[in-house]
Amino acid sequence: MVTHTRAPLRADRLRALNVPRPVEVELDAHGFPFAIEEEGRGKRTVEEILEAWRIDDEWWREPITRQYVEVVLEGGRHVVLFEDLKAKQWFMQKP
Amino acid sequence: MLTQAAILSSELAVCLWIPLFPLRCEEQRRPELSGRPTALLSPSDTRRLWQISPTARRVGVRPGMTVSQAIGLCPTLTLCKPDPVHYDEQFTSVLLALNDVSPVIEPAELGRVFIGVDGLERLHGDPARQLRVIARVAGKGEGGRGKGTAAQLQRSSTRAKRNEHTFPPSPFPLPGGVELACGWTDAARLGWGRGKFLSWVAATRAKPGNAVIVSDEERREFLSGQPVAVLPISSDTHRRLWQLGLKTLADVARLPQVALVSQFGAEGRTAWQLATGSVTDPVTGKERPEPITASLDFPTPAADRAMLAHALNKLIERALGHPRRTGWRVHVVRARAALEHGTSWMTEVTLRDPSADRARIAAPLEVRLENTPPTGAVERLTVEFIAFARGTDELQLFARDASAAARAGRRSALYAAAHEIQTRLKRTMLSHIIEVQPWSRIPERRYALIDFEP
Repeated sequence: MVTHTRAPLRADRLRALNVPRPVEVELDAHGFPFAIEEEGRGKRTVEEILEAWRIDDEWWREPITRQYVEVVLEGGRHVVLFEDLKAKQWFMQKP
Repeated sequence: MLTQAAILSSELAVCLWIPLFPLRCEEQRRPELSGRPTALLSPSDTRRLWQISPTARRVGVRPGMTVSQAIGLCPTLTLCKPDPVHYDEQFTSVLLALNDVSPVIEPAELGRVFIGVDGLERLHGDPARQLRVIARVAGKGEGGRGKGTAAQLQRSSTRAKRNEHTFPPSPFPLPGGVELACGWTDAARLGWGRGKFLSWVAATRAKPGNAVIVSDEERREFLSGQPVAVLPISSDTHRRLWQLGLKTLADVARLPQVALVSQFGAEGRTAWQLATGSVTDPVTGKERPEPITASLDFPTPAADRAMLAHALNKLIERALGHPRRTGWRVHVVRARAALEHGTSWMTEVTLRDPSADRARIAAPLEVRLENTPPTGAVERLTVEFIAFARGTDELQLFARDASAAARAGRRSALYAAAHEIQTRLKRTMLSHIIEVQPWSRIPERRYALIDFEP
């Protein structure tokens, strides 16, 4: 990371980082992911579940309700999966 | 670490010109060639002739002819295999010697160099005395000073002593001309004048072993009588000037500048300005950083091009890793080879965009290796970086130079490169990561990208 250049920060000049990507998730009997399938990358199994948490936020404007699971995929890659409980859709992003 | 190259300049110039320099080098090495019809084979195609001695030229032998054509015209013609490394070493020794006279040295081509002489009158006296000093020093530089073998150095020293006796300073034999005491004996010509163009034209008008001095007062008159062929313009423009009946610089100078510009564009402006003597092109010298060299001796002479290309890559990689290269990009790279039977091969590439990337440096050398390969098996291959550009000017932010510059604590390199990108692409195209809500449980809220504005 480079040092801050003291240029004025403006919200319209910010670009999102670590944007969630849609992913297909297969769940086990307890409702935890055991395999994911990302478009064009095939199916990968979940080797370990590290942490799970739920978020209910921003109820005053666009409510966010998500169920997060941080997992280790086959091959050792760490990712964060979450289900948007309102849209009933799964996403993936970096931890 | 290399220091930043300082640019030195001088309006008053001396042009030292040794015509047919490579051929003269062969004659110096093999005195029996003097006076005989001799031709040097082309380094890129040894079936063709490159340089021709005046004796051979008189019987119709011309550069570019095939060997069989030339032998047909002149059965007694002596053919010499080219040894470009030797010629380069000889010329370098002349340049090094000239550095003792003036710090402003600008080599133009093999055998032609401009020397800045601003302020030298206090050291050496009037132009005639300056020319004598230059001729004497250039003569002492002959024979591979600094780079040559012990035998060469001894030979050089012997020659220098001999020259001092053979060519003592003498009075002016011609109006405006000075007879010289120079190691290149009867070959060297010198011109003294304001600006490179004037000094070059003066040198071309000097007799071998002599000099022509053109003072500021004589400048216009001297130039007016010169043919348009002396102008440094394209052959097409020369031809068109000739077709328009413009044969001397006086003919060109008589025309209004706008007429020449409308006909010939930028070349027309250059031609008019030089013909009227209204501009002075100063000699610009640069402090030359010491070259970085990497060499490889083959256990058995190698002729396989793939092997040579591989060796070139390895040598470039080794030279790039030299500590003095840190923070600098390579501008001019040279590959030279010592061949079997004592000859040599050399090629030099000036990179349009100086680089510190092995592949980018190697690519043009590999093309040269393919198109004009060495004429024999290679015993020793050398890669030499001979000119550099500062690492800050290039766009390779994340390449070797950026990391090298960063290692050297040169953050300014990053800012300069970002400015360069912004100028060229209108946007920096670079971003940096800022913290937005690093505590957030929503990962995409923690950090964001913002344009990097230096």
